[in-house]
Amino acid sequence: MMTLTEYRYSDVVHRCFRCGYCKFPVNWIDVNNCPAYARYRMESYSTGGRLWLIRAWLNDEINWTEHFAEIVYACVSCKNCVEKCPLRFNIDIVNMIVAAKSEMVERGLVPSTVKEFLENVQRQGNPYGSSRARRGEWSQGTGVEQYQGQEFLYYVGCVGSYDTRARQTAKTLASLLHKAGLSFGVLGKEENCDGNEVKNLGELTLFEMLAEDNITQFKALGVNKIVTLSPHSYNAMKNDYPDYGGDFYVYHYTQLVQQLIGDGKLDISGGFNARVVYHDPCFLGRWNEEYDSPRRILKAIPGIELVEMERNKAGALCCGGGGGNFYADFLSGSENSPARRRVREARATGANILAVACPNCMTMLEDAVKAEDLEDKLAVRDLSEIVAEACGTE
Amino acid sequence: MDIVTCIKRVPDTSDADIIIDASQREIEGDTLAFKINDWDEYALETAVQLKETLGGSLTAVTVGPKEWDDVLRRALAMGADKAIRVDEDMITADSYMVAGILESLLRSLSYDLVLFGAQSEDFGSGQLGIMVAEMLGVPHVSLVVSLQVQDGIARVKRELEAGALESYTIELPAVLTVQTGINRPRYISLSGIKRAMTKELQVLSLSGLSLSQEMLAPMVRLERLETPPTGKKAEFISGSPEESAEQLAKILQNSGVF
Repeated sequence: MMTLTEYRYSDVVHRCFRCGYCKFPVNWIDVNNCPAYARYRMESYSTGGRLWLIRAWLNDEINWTEHFAEIVYACVSCKNCVEKCPLRFNIDIVNMIVAAKSEMVERGLVPSTVKEFLENVQRQGNPYGSSRARRGEWSQGTGVEQYQGQEFLYYVGCVGSYDTRARQTAKTLASLLHKAGLSFGVLGKEENCDGNEVKNLGELTLFEMLAEDNITQFKALGVNKIVTLSPHSYNAMKNDYPDYGGDFYVYHYTQLVQQLIGDGKLDISGGFNARVVYHDPCFLGRWNEEYDSPRRILKAIPGIELVEMERNKAGALCCGGGGGNFYADFLSGSENSPARRRVREARATGANILAVACPNCMTMLEDAVKAEDLEDKLAVRDLSEIVAEACGTE
Repeated sequence: MDIVTCIKRVPDTSDADIIIDASQREIEGDTLAFKINDWDEYALETAVQLKETLGGSLTAVTVGPKEWDDVLRRALAMGADKAIRVDEDMITADSYMVAGILESLLRSLSYDLVLFGAQSEDFGSGQLGIMVAEMLGVPHVSLVVSLQVQDGIARVKRELEAGALESYTIELPAVLTVQTGINRPRYISLSGIKRAMTKELQVLSLSGLSLSQEMLAPMVRLERLETPPTGKKAEFISGSPEESAEQLAKILQNSGVF
């Protein structure tokens, strides 16, 4: 039970009349565009169903159960519902779900994987529970410098720092920025979690602490411009950090790389011969409306035939890895898992390369390619890796 | 019903390099993160749930230096009403000495139930709760996986080998050591920890407890910590997945596994 005064959206949450639009992409072509609904195919897992359950919880009509918590946490904050909801409150739908998660956090009633995620961040500054001391290990042997007043801070994030596959991407991007002659440095083991997922899991006080600590650290080091590997870090630093006094120039690396190519700092004439389909990461696309930079990069590289999935840009299907779900894992274990649906959709375009621009998407979709047994037909590559190959650095 | 839960602060060593320091009796703590001992978190959750159903008070207790306040703050955030830290750096202490300190402290407190984690993650001797119970002269049950309390009686189940369970009915006051898995410890939010900063955290010095000199001398002294020698038979297989699989198959074949 929770009291109405505690829930910030108690005056609007009842307005959802479950029209079901939230399950569709912008072009209506598939009813399975809410990742949790796509996975479970049950109304309660759609945004509308979730809001009704949250309302029932508010009104003391249902009790908290582990299953209820899993349904709420199966929302990966992809914002597809925000695009589709016809009501004026649509901008707050994800916030309404995050507020319910936040209430569960305050009561200590979260699913076990969410608990692990948040405890690990509290203790080690990353969701995996790996030692803080290992955070900089990805850069060993790359010659990447520690940040000490260079033009850019290259913020790698938790996934790029610890996940084996994403570490390769972090390295590749570093070598690419190096090749472009960019002045940049990293924080290594001094880097801390950006907090984007922590916020979306409803641990708002922990998010505030991370944001404030990072801002204090960045300011003390004289950071002005930040380039991020992950759209998740980009989102937190660009949209949330200003609320805590963190006014930095924040770029997702695709924006910077596109500029570096345009300025002739990166010679991509080596080309990349492939039919490439691009998957929009939610925290770059729907959350920040950056659909063009990644596509401009791909279009500029000789040899690439860029194709689109039917669901793209604001209508893209999420990989299922947002909102901490790449770790908390409420959507795996089925051919209906959003990542598996997404790689089948990518393959249907005839593409042999699925380009991503997010380490979370990378890990989710690469696993899905294996699960779908598409390894010899479809390779998941990060945009930085494609550019590096065109530049001859990889 | 008044409950006291005794907890310990341990290093999170799940993915850390363990470096033994120059004294050879301690590990270097500079790069380690610390937490509530896993078993103790289950004991705390057990206590909080009992308090929520039966009312009464919950006191969290530890014996350690100032840095250990952080685990007490977490216990307060979980639902303890009050915390007590006996200010003593336990480097040279053994379970017997800590048990003596806790015995002395507990004699000054009112309790129906004293809960311990069944063992600690770092030294893992599993002795403390039982020693304290013996010193206090109250009944105890170890490795508790189920607990119901009613009218001054505790019905407990304890875990044996191979999943077998033993059931006991014991009169309170009693000491129980709690096994992991008895419940699902709640998440301790950061705002919960902040709110708990206003709760009472009492610091006692050893001199404030009535302890004989003999109790303050350890019976067991740690001589040396060491990491196990690296095995001589470890072999790293390299190459493509196909090549490594072939090599591994050969090794297994040659060793007579199949």
